[in-house]
Amino acid sequence: MQKIKTDRRRFLKLSSLASGGLVLGFTLPGLQALALPGEECTHFQPGAYLRIDRKGLVTIFVAKQESGQGVDTALPMIVAEELEVDFRKVKVELAPFGTLPAGMHDTGGSQSVLGMYDTLRKAGAIAKAMLIQAAANSWKVNVTSCAADMGEVVHTPTMKRIGYGELVCEAAKLPIPAEVTLKSPKDFKLIGKSEKRSGLKDILTGKTKYGLDTRVPGMAVAVAVRCPVLGGKLVSYDDTVAKKVPGVLKIVAYKGTGKPMHVRDGVAIIATHTWAAMKAKEMLTVTWDEGSRNEESTVTLFETFASKAGDTPGIEVFKKGDPGNVKGAGKLSADYAQPFLAHATMEPVNFIAEVKGDKCEIWGGLQLPDWAVDTIAKECGFKKPDIKVNLGLMGGAFGRRLHFDFAIEAVKIAQQFDRPVQLVWDRVDDTQFGMFRPANYHRLDAQWDDKGKLVSWKHHVLGTPIAYMIEGPETKNIGEMDGADAGFCYDVPNIHTGYTAVDFNINRGWLRSVDICVNTFPVESFVDEIAGKLKKDPLAFRLSLLENRPDFKTGAEAWALSQSPARVAGVLKLAAEKIGYDKPRKPNHYIGLATHSFIFAKGYAAHAIEVEMVGEKKFRITRVVAAIDCGQVINPDGLLNQMEGGLAFGLTQALKGEITIKDSRVMQDGFFSYELLMYSEMPPLEVHIIPSEAEPGGVGEVGVSTVAPALCNALAAAGHRPRNLPIRNEGFSWV
Amino acid sequence: MPQFSLTVNNKKYDVEAPADMPLLWVLRDLLNMTGTKYGCGVASCGVCSVIIDGNPVFSCQRTVGSCVNKKIITIEGLSEDGSHPVQKAWEQAGVPQCGYCQPGQMMQVVAMLEKNKRPSEETIDQVMNNVLCRCGTYHRIRKAIHLAIDSLNS
Repeated sequence: MQKIKTDRRRFLKLSSLASGGLVLGFTLPGLQALALPGEECTHFQPGAYLRIDRKGLVTIFVAKQESGQGVDTALPMIVAEELEVDFRKVKVELAPFGTLPAGMHDTGGSQSVLGMYDTLRKAGAIAKAMLIQAAANSWKVNVTSCAADMGEVVHTPTMKRIGYGELVCEAAKLPIPAEVTLKSPKDFKLIGKSEKRSGLKDILTGKTKYGLDTRVPGMAVAVAVRCPVLGGKLVSYDDTVAKKVPGVLKIVAYKGTGKPMHVRDGVAIIATHTWAAMKAKEMLTVTWDEGSRNEESTVTLFETFASKAGDTPGIEVFKKGDPGNVKGAGKLSADYAQPFLAHATMEPVNFIAEVKGDKCEIWGGLQLPDWAVDTIAKECGFKKPDIKVNLGLMGGAFGRRLHFDFAIEAVKIAQQFDRPVQLVWDRVDDTQFGMFRPANYHRLDAQWDDKGKLVSWKHHVLGTPIAYMIEGPETKNIGEMDGADAGFCYDVPNIHTGYTAVDFNINRGWLRSVDICVNTFPVESFVDEIAGKLKKDPLAFRLSLLENRPDFKTGAEAWALSQSPARVAGVLKLAAEKIGYDKPRKPNHYIGLATHSFIFAKGYAAHAIEVEMVGEKKFRITRVVAAIDCGQVINPDGLLNQMEGGLAFGLTQALKGEITIKDSRVMQDGFFSYELLMYSEMPPLEVHIIPSEAEPGGVGEVGVSTVAPALCNALAAAGHRPRNLPIRNEGFSWV
Repeated sequence: MPQFSLTVNNKKYDVEAPADMPLLWVLRDLLNMTGTKYGCGVASCGVCSVIIDGNPVFSCQRTVGSCVNKKIITIEGLSEDGSHPVQKAWEQAGVPQCGYCQPGQMMQVVAMLEKNKRPSEETIDQVMNNVLCRCGTYHRIRKAIHLAIDSLNS
């Protein structure tokens, strides 16, 4: 058996290194903006995150990419809190790419608030300290007699006030203080109070420009035909009919790439407008050499998983005690399976590129722009400094835009055209050429002693690793196994978690809630099954395995993350209490519970779901209660948004989300076959937040993973245990 | 290339386009009115919804040729400043996350409420199932619809 160290998701590593670097180098970025002697003073910008002009207008720069998760509200709130300004008068702008150290724009893993909290507080506090000092200097009073309030400095003995705008020239001349004092959380005026998201009015009037709405002067539009099988090659194409479509400007072929993004060979139609390109696409005849891996199917993949589930795992992920030699008084084994999933952002993938000689300029939404630029430079033959990046707003991301296959394609197409080109993926492309959440399969085995105490827990995860795509099958980095042990908080003396990789010819990527979601469904279902077998109450059984366990670290490494079983128990108890778990239930009503630690983002959440059975395997979700503990909440309304969205995302997965593959081709081609949760299917939700001043965790993903297991546990309580998602494949229906 | 005279948001536009070009692409690519969004092109997601002669229409399904002499209203035509009762309700309920589908959601609601100021829950469900939201803002859409109904009936 191969033994390797568990590794966290690649982009998480990138982000944490980057944020560490930024804290140290805080005073560096943007300092060039300080006024130099003799230059005209226009504004005060101590660092890259905020600028105050002479009229007192405060602009806060957001380094993270907005895709609906609310970073463009939560992050500026943190700055504004320390800066003491009226948040509603603050202007929020995306920090231009290149104004911050590499990696700072990385957006993912629910890391934005978690990674930026301290930095942004310091940014606000430093600026405030300098403005106060500037006021004290101009008034010739002691700095300790001055304070900041709503964009003004107040001389407290006289109540004399001066606006920040009038202080910027004086403040810009001052040295950056080496130390600042941050506010005590009890003095927060903004953090912890709900704010509507930035740019709301523009969204509601249709003015907001997403990637697809971006227009660059002289721009043409392209759509592409891609090889239906990953790894296939373009043989030839016939464009005699296609190029006659009015509006078609040029038809070009481009070569695909290998890792990390696996761009397919393609033929692009460049046209004056999208419709002409789409019409011509239908008329293009392309011959492909599909290669040798053109017969793979998900049916066979799941058969392979099942046949290997009883084998020794290929990789040992985590071991505690000696589970192989436990002889318990009773035991249980169960298998669970989950399919490939697509991101299905409402705004399909798109990107703009312009190439002029050895220079390249790109426009669009990217969650990991630095890595994208590195890769584009390598794949397309540019020097990194010759690529100019214009980041844009995303109409949903959910991890899809951590990947940048579409950006490489756009540049490859633009290299063959003398004007900027906007590459548009149609919905079929977006569904079939995605970066799919890996299909996965789990075998769980547990044993207990004669008192019903759990003595061993074995979890064999079988999957199609993302790392095989990003780094190649030779990789030692198997990210998806993380959740199998990292998020596991139940106190069992003997534990073994292992992972077996099965390669499969389809591109894979990170999807919101990543491996935590992959593992929470089997783990929380199986705990429930054990409780049932032992005739114990699922809530009390879980609490007995959590409540007395002290906080622990997942490994000996310096970066090992801390876990709190007590907080996992805390959210579970709260959700159970609020749904009335101990109260008598109406006839045909059943409650299911699930809890977890979203370890990467220091968040804990549980769901309690009540279903009413209205027929054999037919149900109605009557209540959903979520409880969350994510430390200090920045914007409660933003948190609620994410929990509501998490429920929709989790329910889509539980009920109907599934990508199937036959002959190495995705069988779904859009929303008719890859269905999303609809308006009428959204059950009511109550969210309860555990008040906390602990370090603020990320909330973008924590609300997803416990939805499916809580629902399945409710259905199991009603007599039907689903072990495969989506549950409609097991004959369930809902009203 | 044929010429078409369209009335969008009470303004006349002359466009040159193939007769089968969907209204969606006329709005977005020829008139640069990008508030109407592309989501699927096959009537499966509803984010391209506009109002034609008072009826909600997926603009990806209507050819430019079929829109002549019709009154087309897009999100840009609800109000310049977000003061339409439905936009105000959306603001009050804080509906959008990514926001991409919201123009389509609002256009369906505007059309629904213009026909019936007190739609039943069943009607609302039926109409709103026409527009998908991957961010899952459905709770707030429900809340906003009821705020809009209240304000229209007060």
